[in-house]
Amino acid sequence: MTSMEKRLQKELQALTKDPPAGVIVNTESVSQNMSEWIVDLYGAPGSLYDGEKFQLSFKFSPRYPFDSPQVMFIGPNIPVHPHVYSNGHICLSILTDDWSPALSVTSVCLSIVSMLSSCQEKKRPPDNAIYVKTCSKNPKKTRWFYHDDTV
Amino acid sequence: MGNCLKAQSADDISLLRGSETQDGNDQALGPPPPYQERVAPRAPIYYPSPNVSRPANLLTEDEQVKIAKRLGLIVHLPCGVYDGCSKKGKECAICMCDFVMGESLRFLPCMHTYHKDCIDDWLMRSFTCPSCMEPVDAALLTSYETS
Repeated sequence: MTSMEKRLQKELQALTKDPPAGVIVNTESVSQNMSEWIVDLYGAPGSLYDGEKFQLSFKFSPRYPFDSPQVMFIGPNIPVHPHVYSNGHICLSILTDDWSPALSVTSVCLSIVSMLSSCQEKKRPPDNAIYVKTCSKNPKKTRWFYHDDTV
Repeated sequence: MGNCLKAQSADDISLLRGSETQDGNDQALGPPPPYQERVAPRAPIYYPSPNVSRPANLLTEDEQVKIAKRLGLIVHLPCGVYDGCSKKGKECAICMCDFVMGESLRFLPCMHTYHKDCIDDWLMRSFTCPSCMEPVDAALLTSYETS
């Protein structure tokens, strides 16, 4: 087993045994070599997304955890949020520049839940239309500018 | 500027240093290897930043300096062997495995401890502590000033 598989195996175990509120990993979606996962995410109670269900796709390179995972929303319900594009791409610094190998699937999910929870008004990013038309399929290829620390 | 990160080639000085580096000594005693036209050696891959990988021969000058600095600084970070003492923490946050007696560890100035191999791999990409994001070089300098 590679070091990436070993670590993801541990993460999967921890996440299925002791999942944080609103985060459920879809164990059937986990591919044989661990490199692709789907995680169900539930909007936190009391937030604008209360009762909504979302799906996150995780893709890991063989260099994980040194390389950040590729994380995006997929499926029929993409949260309407100032940092989430309608194609599922998420503008969140820990997914690229501020990634650290001490972060994990769990901590990424919790960051996203908290990002959703602190939202005051459901709206798309101002540049959604142009971004969605011109971006790469892989959100990690986007040169993100992180400017908004409020949500 | 000279290429300080040149890929290892057959006339590398490290081959002269003797037994410390490898246990392939018995090999060295055998007959000389047959003559080979030298093919371009595969350059090692470096990571100027975590999401950028480049073979050594394609690094920009700035990136070469950055990597050379990291190589130089890593050597000054204290190492040790896990002796079962729990105040050094007992799990490596990078591989998420528990430390096992006798494993090589590296201690960062911020007091976070990792497997030597795990953290060295990361420090070659980013000179920050994965757990507290503290820049390791700044902390290393302060630790020199105070001691």
